[in-house]
Amino acid sequence: MSDLLSSEIDLEKVLAGADEELAVRPDEPSLPPLEWAGKNLFGTGQGSIGAIVRGTFLTVIFAGLALLAYRAVLNFIFSENAGWDSVRINLRLLFTQAYPDENYTRVWVTVGVVAVLAGLSLGMTKVGPGFSFKRIATWLFSWGGLIVLGVLLREPSVLTDSNGETRFADSRGVELVRDTNNSLVYQNNDPAPSTGISALRENFGAAMGDRLGWWIIGLALLAIGAAIWFVLGDLRRRTTFVPAIPLALAGIGLLVSTTWWYRWGHYTFTEEGGFEYGPGELVATSTRIPWTIMFVLLVVAYLGGRLLARATASGPIRIGLSAAWLLAPFFTYYAILRGPIMDWAHVVSTDLPLWVLFAGLGGALLWLLTRPGLGEIGRILAVVVLAAAAFTWVGAFFGWFSMLQKVRLSVLFLGLTALLAPNFIGEARQRMKLVVGWVGFITIFHLLVTLINTASSIETPSEDFAGGFMVTIYVALFTMLFSFPLGVLLALARTSRMPLFRVMATVYIEAFRGVPLITMLFFFTVFVNIFLPGSMELSLMAAVTIAFVLFSAAYLAENVRGGMQAIRRGQYEASDALGLTTVQRTGFIVLPQALRVSIPPLVGQTIATFKETSLLAIVGVFDFLRMARDVVPAQTEFLGTRKPGLLFISAVYFIGAYAMSKYSQRLEKKLGVGER
Amino acid sequence: MSISDATTAVSEEMASRADMIVSDGVDKWYGDFQALKGVTATIKEREVVVVLGPSGSGKSTWIRCINRLEQHQDGRIMVDGVELTNDTRNIEKIRSEVGMVFQSFNLFPHITVLDNITLAPIWVRKKPRGEAEQLGRDLLERVGIPEQADKFPGQLSGGQQQRVAIARALAMEPRIMLFDEPTSALDPEMIKEVLDVMKELARSGMTMMVVTHEMGFAREVADRIIFMESGEIVEVGPPEHFFTNPTEDRTKLFLSQIL
Repeated sequence: MSDLLSSEIDLEKVLAGADEELAVRPDEPSLPPLEWAGKNLFGTGQGSIGAIVRGTFLTVIFAGLALLAYRAVLNFIFSENAGWDSVRINLRLLFTQAYPDENYTRVWVTVGVVAVLAGLSLGMTKVGPGFSFKRIATWLFSWGGLIVLGVLLREPSVLTDSNGETRFADSRGVELVRDTNNSLVYQNNDPAPSTGISALRENFGAAMGDRLGWWIIGLALLAIGAAIWFVLGDLRRRTTFVPAIPLALAGIGLLVSTTWWYRWGHYTFTEEGGFEYGPGELVATSTRIPWTIMFVLLVVAYLGGRLLARATASGPIRIGLSAAWLLAPFFTYYAILRGPIMDWAHVVSTDLPLWVLFAGLGGALLWLLTRPGLGEIGRILAVVVLAAAAFTWVGAFFGWFSMLQKVRLSVLFLGLTALLAPNFIGEARQRMKLVVGWVGFITIFHLLVTLINTASSIETPSEDFAGGFMVTIYVALFTMLFSFPLGVLLALARTSRMPLFRVMATVYIEAFRGVPLITMLFFFTVFVNIFLPGSMELSLMAAVTIAFVLFSAAYLAENVRGGMQAIRRGQYEASDALGLTTVQRTGFIVLPQALRVSIPPLVGQTIATFKETSLLAIVGVFDFLRMARDVVPAQTEFLGTRKPGLLFISAVYFIGAYAMSKYSQRLEKKLGVGER
Repeated sequence: MSISDATTAVSEEMASRADMIVSDGVDKWYGDFQALKGVTATIKEREVVVVLGPSGSGKSTWIRCINRLEQHQDGRIMVDGVELTNDTRNIEKIRSEVGMVFQSFNLFPHITVLDNITLAPIWVRKKPRGEAEQLGRDLLERVGIPEQADKFPGQLSGGQQQRVAIARALAMEPRIMLFDEPTSALDPEMIKEVLDVMKELARSGMTMMVVTHEMGFAREVADRIIFMESGEIVEVGPPEHFFTNPTEDRTKLFLSQIL
């Protein structure tokens, strides 16, 4: 009855001050733990024996299965012969293949760029209140509980003799020793029985004693969780928040700081090509210093981002930051792979004049095309440029004349930009937008092409890229960058009123969705070079990236199309009634809404691409998976040791995929503002 | 029904004004179903015409033909002297002069109220952003919700959304406003605020064509009422004549059902 009264009062309060802050749900003590467990796990409280039997049965079965699986995983992770050294020693190999040591600074520069951008972005995002203490306490309980449970569940360690060899005993507990042939016998040289022999393990008490460190961590987490839970009380638990990003930064900081005081061990390759083990030592300085610098960069950039977010011009800064994120893959790819040996004569004789030509004449053409009152002539001119672009491709295909790829692409881009010109007709400022956009775009494009075409002084073991996780990350990144616009264009084409576009897009999408990705990868690595005109040749990495882009675009197109179908007809009618052109309607009304609706499938596709890069291992690229599956187990010291490597890369894949999924959830929430 | 019949009901003064909308024998089919059967009427400058009729009578279809949201198959539609044909330049010209307000508002949910209003002036009329925003705020002031400029449409009530939709149409500075059942999707307590805005608009001399079921509004504001049924114009006349002394049996039946 009192509940009823209080809710009525709340309702009144809300009605009276709808614009004021929302009323807080009143303090409502949660169920005591035993009652909670009974109700949720064992079906009590419904007054039915059947419910109790059913609930208890299901809980016992599934909890038992979960515990068994947990125990098996822990037993493997902590077993003496799991072979984690193969991962520890090969960390660098797994992530960057044998990237030359003397150039390693470049890899760190790359990580640094990402750290700075990430810090700025984190600083500039508008975040919610963060994690409530209730959530943190729950989190501490879960992890503390899992750790304590793990400590109790894990089988006791095997006992070793003074030489570090495992001790064995028969089923009666009588110990066995190794003879000169390395087979197990009794002390008096009697042969051992063929069954009932197992490794000798410490007793339960000793095992628990050995895990003192884990006990402390687990119990400490539980204790802190309990303290937060019981000291604060329900209302304050729910309404006191810890900001999420500083909390995450503190976590990362703690992890990085361990390299200075926790003895992770020092494992490294030696000059002679062997390995050097140093358990119980601090990690190498060459690991510790860079990571510390990265962390400092991250924090400084975060604080800088916080300041910038308050600046008056934060809008343009945000746009600049997005542009930096877009350019980062190209920049870092270049930074890692190119020690440019500039051919200045070529730059002066060819590259600069071409840039001046396209930036200058192209800009002038666009300026002309946006002149008010130009009418149909503008469209005709744009089509003429496009036709010229098409002609250069056809000409190159049949070998009529030779022409730089860069020139052909530039003409094509100019033609496409010219098509946009009618939307920018107007006063000088409006026209300038298009011209400036064009000059900026063509400058970046020419710069990138020139830089990429410059010979490099860096030699990587794979023909054109470092391997390991770096390949995974770059193929995934470039796939997303290129397949996204392509997918959007395909979706537009498929929903277009022009039958030619519609048919072509439909054929493309259905064809690529109907072929397994691995088949496409083989096709592109083996056959595509045969179809290319004589002068062109695709490297392995370029070929597989193109395959990924084309494949992923087909799926993205379907996702975007799904989003477009969710838009109501009234939106189109309102746009038409206002006199928006088709391009304006698509760009301002249809796509923004369609993309928002399709965020979950788009992120799903991105995660899929990230994971599917592991197929590269099959077509001969030294990616993350191949390193763990083939390269490490081929080392003489770790012959055949696959399990720890595979477990490790699974963890890395999981962290990447999970982070993306979390980010998409946040994005959905953020863009939910103003949802119908 | 012919044009001459329709215009006899209009005063001398009205007859001397310019024709804004001329609909001459307009036919429209959906498949085998004929939605409009030779609809003929002329709407003068600064005139407010209310189109009444039972649902399915073709009144919405007719009004949507006038800015080419639907395409008529036969007959002629002239808007401010420009004939609607397949020529896209004519369609663009007419759409930029005709504002439309829909039953379901059709605001763009992903941009703010102010952006909803300024989008078309900036991109279609090529107005500088600052000028467009000033115009947008002035229009929000005019429809009575200046404080909602930076909210998203989903945060507004139905009546407020419809007023934003009116402001959005007015931002294009149209010569004609079409209203397609603007209050039908509204809760009763919100209808008045929208009708008030429309009345103010009518008093300001806007040429208006309104499809509605609001008899009070029709009686108070309309210069002329056009009654449609089964895709035809049944009766045309000033409100006092229409509501008190209708000539056609079908009109009488309709009025007896709703009044």
